[in-house]
Amino acid sequence: MKSQAHHKRSRPKAIFIRKYPSKKTNNSNSNSNSKCTMAATASQTSAAQNAAYDIPELYRMRPAVVDALETDSSAMQQDTIEECLPFLLGEEDLGPRNVHGIPLLDKQRHLNFLRKQLGPLPGAFMAADPSRPWFFYWCLAAMSLLGEDVAFYREKLVETVRPMQNATGGFAGGQGQMSHLATTYATILSLALVGGEAAYDVVDRKSMWHWLGSLKQPDGGFQMAIGGEEDVRGAYCQTYEGGISAKPSVEAHGAYAFCALGCLSIIDSPHRGIPRHLDLPRLISWLSSRQYAPEGGFSGRTNKLVDGCYSHWVGGCWPLIEASISGPQEGFAAEAATPATEARSLFSRNGLIRYILCCCQDLSKRGGMRDKPSKNSDAYHSCYVLSGLSLAQHKWTMKSARLDATVLGSDEWVVTPYLEGQQIFSEDDRLATTHPVYVIPQHKADDIRDYFVNKAGF
Amino acid sequence: MPPKKVPQKTGKLDPVWAKPEDLKKPETVSERTQRRVNLSTPYHGKDLNDLTPEELKIYSHTNLIKPISEGKISLSVKAEREFWKFVNKEKLPIRHVRDNYDWGKDKNGKDIASYTIEELNQRKIKQARYRALSLFSRQFVHLRDQAKRQETELAEIEIEEERKRRREMAALKKELYGELTAKLVQDPVYDDIIPIPMEEPESALARIAYPDFYAEAISYLRAVMAGEEYTPRCLRITEHVISMNPAHYTVWLYRFKIIQVLDLPVPNEIEWLNEVALNNLKNYQIWHHRQLLLDYYYPKIADDDEAVRKLAKSEIDFVNQILAEDTKNYHVWSYRQDIVAKLGIWTVAELGSTQNMIEDDVRNNSAWSHRFYLVFSDPGQSTKDALPTEHDPKVPAIIIERELKYTRDKILLSPQNQSSWNYLRGVLRKAGRGMSTEEGFASQFAECSGEGGEKVTSSHALEMLADASVETGNVEKATLCFTRLAKTWDPIREGYWQYRISQLKEQ
Repeated sequence: MKSQAHHKRSRPKAIFIRKYPSKKTNNSNSNSNSKCTMAATASQTSAAQNAAYDIPELYRMRPAVVDALETDSSAMQQDTIEECLPFLLGEEDLGPRNVHGIPLLDKQRHLNFLRKQLGPLPGAFMAADPSRPWFFYWCLAAMSLLGEDVAFYREKLVETVRPMQNATGGFAGGQGQMSHLATTYATILSLALVGGEAAYDVVDRKSMWHWLGSLKQPDGGFQMAIGGEEDVRGAYCQTYEGGISAKPSVEAHGAYAFCALGCLSIIDSPHRGIPRHLDLPRLISWLSSRQYAPEGGFSGRTNKLVDGCYSHWVGGCWPLIEASISGPQEGFAAEAATPATEARSLFSRNGLIRYILCCCQDLSKRGGMRDKPSKNSDAYHSCYVLSGLSLAQHKWTMKSARLDATVLGSDEWVVTPYLEGQQIFSEDDRLATTHPVYVIPQHKADDIRDYFVNKAGF
Repeated sequence: MPPKKVPQKTGKLDPVWAKPEDLKKPETVSERTQRRVNLSTPYHGKDLNDLTPEELKIYSHTNLIKPISEGKISLSVKAEREFWKFVNKEKLPIRHVRDNYDWGKDKNGKDIASYTIEELNQRKIKQARYRALSLFSRQFVHLRDQAKRQETELAEIEIEEERKRRREMAALKKELYGELTAKLVQDPVYDDIIPIPMEEPESALARIAYPDFYAEAISYLRAVMAGEEYTPRCLRITEHVISMNPAHYTVWLYRFKIIQVLDLPVPNEIEWLNEVALNNLKNYQIWHHRQLLLDYYYPKIADDDEAVRKLAKSEIDFVNQILAEDTKNYHVWSYRQDIVAKLGIWTVAELGSTQNMIEDDVRNNSAWSHRFYLVFSDPGQSTKDALPTEHDPKVPAIIIERELKYTRDKILLSPQNQSSWNYLRGVLRKAGRGMSTEEGFASQFAECSGEGGEKVTSSHALEMLADASVETGNVEKATLCFTRLAKTWDPIREGYWQYRISQLKEQ
């Protein structure tokens, strides 16, 4: 298989020509004709090149409908397709691929990358000074997904984050900085990931409670820091497109969609909270539009490019959307889950898994996951790409819901491998699972919750 | 080099054991040292047993005079005169140069001993200059402290001189020893700040090896923040930190506080900020800072229409400048909406400027989103706080028609552009109209025959036909459209189209 992949590299580089169907010869109504020509060319070439792999046509060809008019956006989209295709088609050497044309997930390589990201970093990481807690979360979460026991980092993490907590409540990005909601979120999740009382007890809950209260705004949102900005990371705003934006009426954006749905799923069970505040049909349509072919990955906004991190930001919306459509599945038993009882997926898992394993792995010495092949891997993408891969491999079902909104966070979720259709990835590459709302392993979320529920006072 | 006559000239004073090569002019420092050792230490390196009686005599005399020549024994005037007479006569060396003297290394790791004599002299001049400057600098500190005690201050010119002096000292230190002097200690204005360095255990996670300049700046920042100081010198520290790391959110919030406390002129700050923004297109804190500045500044000029108009123009001009570089910058578009609302820029010019961006790239969804905001949130022609997804009867019909026409034109230009289709749906929602009202328009881009030859130049048009059919209760046609989308025209979304079909069955 590997030698084949090598051999393929010398293919004529012409599956898709860079140029769009000529504007001179085609008017805007001739798109369907040009599409047919393109399709024919594509299938002939790819049939010859990739006979060894069973790659659906969808991931080998340009979309069925493409406009003649070229603009900056369409040129960048075309560049991205060209960038991804050799990876998707099996022409790029990514080691052995299975019959579906999917390379293996190089867990060891990615783990090495993540370990390094948690180790001493060179001065070039200076810009990360105010966001170090994110590095803890991204790396620990990604390592957990790869099956690593991160409790090993407990002591170091505790020692590192303790001085980042301010006496006035909350965690900052570093010592002597101001507390910030984002870095506090990342710190708490990191502490939950390493687990154990020593980690939980770092949090000064009383001062944090006061601090959170002081961030709350009259409109129901939260400032990110005292004097800081207010956005959907503390509230939610649906736009005319159906997606969610950072502030009312700004453009809909994938990352804010997950934040809003996650927030609504914490405040109340998703089947109540989400439809109560959002136009669900428009939201689903917009979310579904985020997935592109042939790339298979998600984009963050209309007419923007795919990026591996949206595997989580957009991909992570689907379990919450499914739960809000179906409500609690009281009779659902994980053991009894069979393909026959599984609903079809609202997004293409095949496409997402393809994009992640073919385009998002850095298989050089560096390791780690990335936005797209032309970008460098980093901790952020490693976390959210792997989180997206995990959710594409599994199905989360809300088994029972809390009685009402006043009971915080007691919805019961169960997870099973996703069994519908053909499994295109190797079973060895199945990741650990991650809670659809908290984005840490379910038992870690349960542990920290149980600890504080049973604790008297602050 | 031809042998010089130097040995003969000074021959009188040369010790008797001087070898000719010891009398040559040395070229390097190490040569000179070696020669001095040879001349000052009789029979240097020789075993005492190997010396001739004559040599041994000189050797022992040399050692005997040592305590006197080194001043350890004092003699009477007469005795001393006799002593020196004898020493001169015997040409005994009175100074003893230490062997294996370590000259040290320069900043490049080069041994100073390998310098030429001239190079060493140059270095010595610089060292002397540095020492002299240090003295002046210490004097400055002394005078300033004295002034402080007398509750006066030194003249600005003296402070400026000290600043220059420290810069020169820093340059000399770097040149001589390769030592970098952090930036803030070079400015006497910061002398009284006791920096709070970051102390982290070696084992801290993702520990960053901060460059010295950054570490210094941050430690000063911590100190002034902890002291809740809001002065011009703190403003300069924030500027220094921002120049190195504009992502540092704390420094921005602190900077804003300083501006408020000192009531600094906002236009100056904005001018400075423009430069920073142009150099950091993807930075987010800059735009939040700008928004805070505006929130703070606007009430001060709110009553002056002319001033507001001027500010609105300069802000939009700058935003346009940034958007020309980065057409979909989320934070910049977000800021643009803020200032439209705050400064009341619900103008034809603003609509036109946004429209230009759509004309440049009809797929620029950020520009479409801004247009939607301009049209449907304009307080003059819309209901306050109406949701973007709900019908607003207050929007005039003429506006609805204008928007529909504009959007249809753009769809004709690029039928598969989802931005314009989403906009069209948005307008229909605002107008309280169904998708079926655009069925005729959409059908020119898509037919849904379910046959092989069907013509589709826009999958979004096909989706609209499907939604129109759902509205009118034509389940059969809707199912067919969704099926065609799933199978042929937009198969990556097959799961979604199947879901839509399953919904039809439920109804």
